[in-house]
Amino acid sequence: MVKISVLQHNPALHVPIRPGDPTPVQRNLNPSMHPFAKARERTRALNAAKLDKIFSKPFVDSLEGHIDAVEVLTKPLESLTTVASGSWDGGLILHNLHTRSEMLKLPQAHKGKISGLCFADPKGSRLLSCGVDRNVRLWKVGTGDGEDDSGASSQEPLHVYPWKTSFNSIDHHRSDPLFATASSTVQIWDETKSAPVSNLTFPTSNETVSSVRFNLAEPSVLASVGSDRTFTLYDIRTGKAERRVVMQFRSNALAWSPTLPTMALLASEDHNLYTFDVRHMAAPVQIYKGHVAAVMSCEWAPTGVEFVSGGWDRTVRIWSSREAGGKEKGPGGREVVYHTKRMQRVTSTIYSSDARYVLSGSDDGNVRIWKAKASDKLGVITARERASMEYRESLVKRWSVDKDVGRVLRTRHLPKSVYKAGQLKHTMLEARRVKDERRRKHTRAGEQKPVAEKKKTIITEQS
Amino acid sequence: MDALIARADAIRPLSELRAVKTRDSGKGKAKANSKGKSKDTSTSNSDYTLQSISSHVNVPKSLAPLDPSSSKSKNDEVPKYNHIANKKLRSQLVHQHALNSNLSKNALETQQNLLSLAADDAGSIQVTGPLEKTWRISQDEIVASVGGEAAKGRRELTFGPGQGAKRMKWSQNGRHLVFISGKGGTKVSSVDWMGGNVNCEVDLLAGSNLAGAGGNGGGGEAARDVTFLQDQSFFAVAQKRNVFVYDRDGVEVHRLNNIIDPLRLDFLPWHWLLVAVTNSGHLSYTDTTTGTQIAVHRTKLGACNTLTQNRHNAVVHLGHQNGCVTLWTPNLPKPAVQILSHMGPVTSISVNPSDGGSAGSVNMPGRYMATAGRDGKVKIWDCRNWKGVVREWTVRGAGDVELEWSQKGYLGVLSGGSVNVYHPPHIVTPYTGSSSSAAPPLYLSHPIPHKPLQCLRFEPFSDVLAIGHNKGLSSILVPGVGEPQFDSLEADPFENAKARREREVKGLLDKIQPDLITLDPSMVGKFDSAALSASGSSLVATAAQSLLDKSDKVKWGANVQVKNVGVDVPFSRMKRVERLAVQGKLDTTGAGDDSEDSDVEMKEGGDGDSDDEGGLTREEMSKKRKMRGKNKSLKRYLRKQRKNVVDPQVLAVRAKVDRMREEAKAKKLQMKAGGAVEENKRKSALDRFKAGSGK
Repeated sequence: MVKISVLQHNPALHVPIRPGDPTPVQRNLNPSMHPFAKARERTRALNAAKLDKIFSKPFVDSLEGHIDAVEVLTKPLESLTTVASGSWDGGLILHNLHTRSEMLKLPQAHKGKISGLCFADPKGSRLLSCGVDRNVRLWKVGTGDGEDDSGASSQEPLHVYPWKTSFNSIDHHRSDPLFATASSTVQIWDETKSAPVSNLTFPTSNETVSSVRFNLAEPSVLASVGSDRTFTLYDIRTGKAERRVVMQFRSNALAWSPTLPTMALLASEDHNLYTFDVRHMAAPVQIYKGHVAAVMSCEWAPTGVEFVSGGWDRTVRIWSSREAGGKEKGPGGREVVYHTKRMQRVTSTIYSSDARYVLSGSDDGNVRIWKAKASDKLGVITARERASMEYRESLVKRWSVDKDVGRVLRTRHLPKSVYKAGQLKHTMLEARRVKDERRRKHTRAGEQKPVAEKKKTIITEQS
Repeated sequence: MDALIARADAIRPLSELRAVKTRDSGKGKAKANSKGKSKDTSTSNSDYTLQSISSHVNVPKSLAPLDPSSSKSKNDEVPKYNHIANKKLRSQLVHQHALNSNLSKNALETQQNLLSLAADDAGSIQVTGPLEKTWRISQDEIVASVGGEAAKGRRELTFGPGQGAKRMKWSQNGRHLVFISGKGGTKVSSVDWMGGNVNCEVDLLAGSNLAGAGGNGGGGEAARDVTFLQDQSFFAVAQKRNVFVYDRDGVEVHRLNNIIDPLRLDFLPWHWLLVAVTNSGHLSYTDTTTGTQIAVHRTKLGACNTLTQNRHNAVVHLGHQNGCVTLWTPNLPKPAVQILSHMGPVTSISVNPSDGGSAGSVNMPGRYMATAGRDGKVKIWDCRNWKGVVREWTVRGAGDVELEWSQKGYLGVLSGGSVNVYHPPHIVTPYTGSSSSAAPPLYLSHPIPHKPLQCLRFEPFSDVLAIGHNKGLSSILVPGVGEPQFDSLEADPFENAKARREREVKGLLDKIQPDLITLDPSMVGKFDSAALSASGSSLVATAAQSLLDKSDKVKWGANVQVKNVGVDVPFSRMKRVERLAVQGKLDTTGAGDDSEDSDVEMKEGGDGDSDDEGGLTREEMSKKRKMRGKNKSLKRYLRKQRKNVVDPQVLAVRAKVDRMREEAKAKKLQMKAGGAVEENKRKSALDRFKAGSGK
């Protein structure tokens, strides 16, 4: 006898048992059940890329209070909320990022510009400042965290270290009560002594050092950049300058990578950023091109993968470092550019300690807070929202090579001045390249060889 | 507490773990030659904590340990990517490949589990002996044997003589049915088939339509065709003057003014396009999300009575009065494919929505097309190769033949006074018997006494076949034709209102642009090699690699890149290999001394024409070198000497060289085929007496 059965679905399995229950889901992964799966996914990726653009509103807030241009920004190592800023009028403000209020305001911390700021301990209870008034001052500041409020901030400095020359930069040793200052020389100070304990300047050097930083992993090593277009390494154990390279252009700022101890980042006057491996100083590891004017400041993210730079072109740019394992450069293979109409030349930039925010201080006297990822959503995010965000992210990543998705990712709006300057710069560089090319063509074969771009930037290495 | 933990041996101190690891790696090195043993050591060094919890936890697939050696042994096609110089990229590719193979394996497993679940639900007829024929089984027997709820699929709706269902369409999920009935086709009904409710009935004769814009066009007009849009909430009706869109309650919501005198309708669900073909032979695509007409094509083949879509590439198939079948996309003003399929008007077309029926088949879905014509023939076509039919047979009975494939690949054919259903594998297997027009074995047959029979539609996700005939609409049970396992994220017969709304929004967001409709839907996200070769300039980036890469050499032709490189990229930007290639100094012979490479070289030499392509080959280089230092007149003389001279000696030598090459090639092939076998064979003492051993 034949056995006959007919397909029948049990409705009880496909509708929720009680009202409010989730609807049961049944899947069939057979590709013939999912026509156009790829095309639909592409559409979804395109939408995700567009949504990313729609949601990218990076500006969070601006912290006012300075009368003149903001020159320096600094943050303590172990605080998420405290940031200190120093200005050209000698004013010093301690901001709380959480409440966006001023915890401490010293309108006349120095006479004239404050050129350097750094916290003397990881918690951020003491602050060192230096200025063009030839003084270094140590301040006691309350971080407002409530833990160590033994003494509230005072308007008078704890200590003043006077010297003969004006200072350009200051940095504190990671663990010891030492700090380094940069003027025409690099000097090491002991907090308890009123005169520098040593002078580390390179023997033949006759320059103005513009920035000095201690290495984060090996705190006895420090580096400086100076007006003689140099990048110099010092060791306080030997007490002298170890090595230096002379570059084509001078650098304005310097930052050590928090994760790759030998990696240093230079913000150069020639519109580029350079990463150096200090073990091989003959050439930079990577050149980051994008700014259309001198780069004034740079700072690594605490993750060590990204870094932020601020420039004379009135933009803040966030880069992804490939040597540290980042993406190509950023979304669409280019760095992220932040700008507003009212922001002037950016003189200082830092990352917040949780790597979610970027701060920039600019010539217009404001400290601005930006999101590190432009399309980040602030506030509480539900699990479903998070899942859909992650899905969108992976979609965009997978389809970023698609023509349309890539175009959406690459497209960015720049201020007209920056855009035009970029075009002009491109024209000039291209003309130079063509000229070189022609010159090479008309010289004897093999006489003039093109020099690698990385090699070009270094004039000489000295030790 | 510490003692307790120590006794449980839950977690070993880190230092100890490290020690074990280093010891094991040392062992592994020592036993590197024996793969199996080193593998054992690697498994034994896992700590107890991991072992104790590993049975209860699931490591994410991306974090699961990759064992390239094991995957290699399973399928030998893990590519080594040796041609990629960048080490990082190479390892990334290998990793990606391993991940992909893992993923596909897991997906297959999951799918099989799902299918085994569904297999219990699937309908079937099991015969015990060869003498029992499934087509002998009548509907009464089926109904009697399945009984209960399933038997409710068998229904007979009687509307009266001449008022039967003319055209009908199921919704995507198979829950709702919309059909044209009434005298002259003046009534359109949308019913919830599974729930047994009527959603609405639109009487095109009645006065309800006389008011408003549609009154003129809709009132008193017969409907020609009907289709649901994205779901049951809207359906479009092709009426005499225009296409009208009605909502679920039968309220006319749109009139598509620019489609005049439509005959057939269909809806492309993923592109949200309403396709209509008119009496004048115009095919129009209307975007139902925006209401704009995105394309109108003139078929130039007169009134068209047959329209169907391939659900897997959204290509529209039209059947014409002159026996032609044409395939259309909105992007081409002419048919993508045109075939003369019948010696008479085409009456019905259907495209196989399944991928061949059996699980794990490699057929692409939508590969086969079935056509029926007024010449009484049913033909099966292979959509990848239009040269001739796969199978054809003649059907009995007068009247137009209608046919449709079911989701599982069963073919229903409506002809004369009965409906016949055929098995999947036999329909598409080419018939090799003596008479080329034998019908495939019959699966099920059902006679209907109310001629003419007008249309048939298989219900998705169910074993029901709905047939419209002269007096009404009857549905029969055909076990096994429906897909037992629906995917709730695609089409769910049991979805509630909220899920429907959500699906509509999601579907709108995922709407595919109409320009992406092509014959090959897998084109999306693929490398467009044709465009690449056309543009040429984008070749430059990989020119050097492809100069060295043997496979590319065969693909593009050896000399093409050299030209491109020279034209587009300044010399200073080239890599060294490219510079050498441009200068003609690149030694292509030494690049890879594989046997394949030399094969390629031989082929090129054998052509003899490759020299004319402009790049500097070896021969040209040698000529150039010979010319060095000669003055102009002597050069001219030598050139003329080379040209147009038929030297018997040279010809003979050339022939000899060619012959030797051929021999060498044949020998190599032979070695490849039989060499491995011979190596494995042990030589015996008697081998020296073999015929070929003397050489």
